[in-house]
Amino acid sequence: MPDKKKKATKHCSRNATLIKGVGRNSRSKMWAKTFMYERIKKALKKPRAKTETKKNTRFVNKDIGGDKNGGTRKVPVSRTPKYYPTEDVPRKLRSNKKPFSQHKKKLRPSITPGTVLILVSGRHKGKKVIFLKQLKMSGLLLVTGPFKLNAVPLRRVNQIYVIATKTKIDISGVKLPSRLNDRYFKRKRLRKPKHQEGEIFDTEEEKYSVSQERKEDQVKVDSQILPLLTNEKHLKSYMRSTFSLKNGQYPHEMVF
Amino acid sequence: MADVTSDHLPQSLVLPFRHLAFWTRSEGGRLAIMPGRLYSKAVFTGYKRGLRNQREHTALLRIEGVTSRKDTEFYMGKRCAYVYKAKKKTATPGGAPSKIRVIWGKVTRPHGNSGGVRAKFRKNLPAKAMGHRIRVMMYPSRV
Repeated sequence: MPDKKKKATKHCSRNATLIKGVGRNSRSKMWAKTFMYERIKKALKKPRAKTETKKNTRFVNKDIGGDKNGGTRKVPVSRTPKYYPTEDVPRKLRSNKKPFSQHKKKLRPSITPGTVLILVSGRHKGKKVIFLKQLKMSGLLLVTGPFKLNAVPLRRVNQIYVIATKTKIDISGVKLPSRLNDRYFKRKRLRKPKHQEGEIFDTEEEKYSVSQERKEDQVKVDSQILPLLTNEKHLKSYMRSTFSLKNGQYPHEMVF
Repeated sequence: MADVTSDHLPQSLVLPFRHLAFWTRSEGGRLAIMPGRLYSKAVFTGYKRGLRNQREHTALLRIEGVTSRKDTEFYMGKRCAYVYKAKKKTATPGGAPSKIRVIWGKVTRPHGNSGGVRAKFRKNLPAKAMGHRIRVMMYPSRV
């Protein structure tokens, strides 16, 4: 019997697959299996809400002048279109290509909250940072220096420009401000001054300046993380040092 | 700590930046820390070829320290760059025009059993680059 009493939890497919695209049971068998006959009976039995008979607003009686024209005529309020496309909604071809927002944002298993990461590219290359969390919308990693140690602020970083080391700290107790999301870190387009004839406007937003929000959040997060770093021996100075390859060091031989 | 660089050095020498990198003055006059090398050194040994014909679209690289096919697994997909200088200054992304030029490419697959590697560049490498340095970056990282 179909579960009506419980909350609607979807049943798995009652139709086993023989081959992809071919089910074990035919339409009529599925009709019986899913108790469609009973469901339809019940739907029909439900008292239908009485709808008021709509006033016929499609036509309007209009007065027409001139004798021998009949006086009034029923005129449609809106005209029927003079063009009908062959398909109401153009048929969308099936494609496995999803927009970025629906992509699966994978995270390498070696990267867990509290892992020390080595940035391998960008303006902070060579620096070691702490991984905080993966941002949901973009899949980028939220990372912090901490700022005091190596001048890396709260920042987003792509996984592929990062080497995960085995050094991890326990940041389960660290509370991140909830406003740290992709929108917060989105790049701001600075308005370039338009060169008007003769006039030079004073409103030039050329330089980027750190917002007060960012400074506050930086302090909030780092004040929780710094004591965790001082706990372990050498970790603080480790975070301050930069990574680089030396003679005789080969990354394929290294364990990070 | 797993990082090889600071492990063997006594505490007194593990000072911020000093032994690893060098200081430069950036545009704003602030002291910036230039990191050390973050790429593997490789040499462009020649083009992919049969005995009498060569295919310039694929370059053969020999990465320092890589001597077996198994070792090349790390470098697969890594970006590589042929850096060279020319007389005229050309535009740089996000910087002043400079005389340094780059041809970017990536490591595509191993070559042979002794750690050689094939790479494809956006523009074929010039033949004069043979025997010269190619930088194999550490990104895209899969570690």
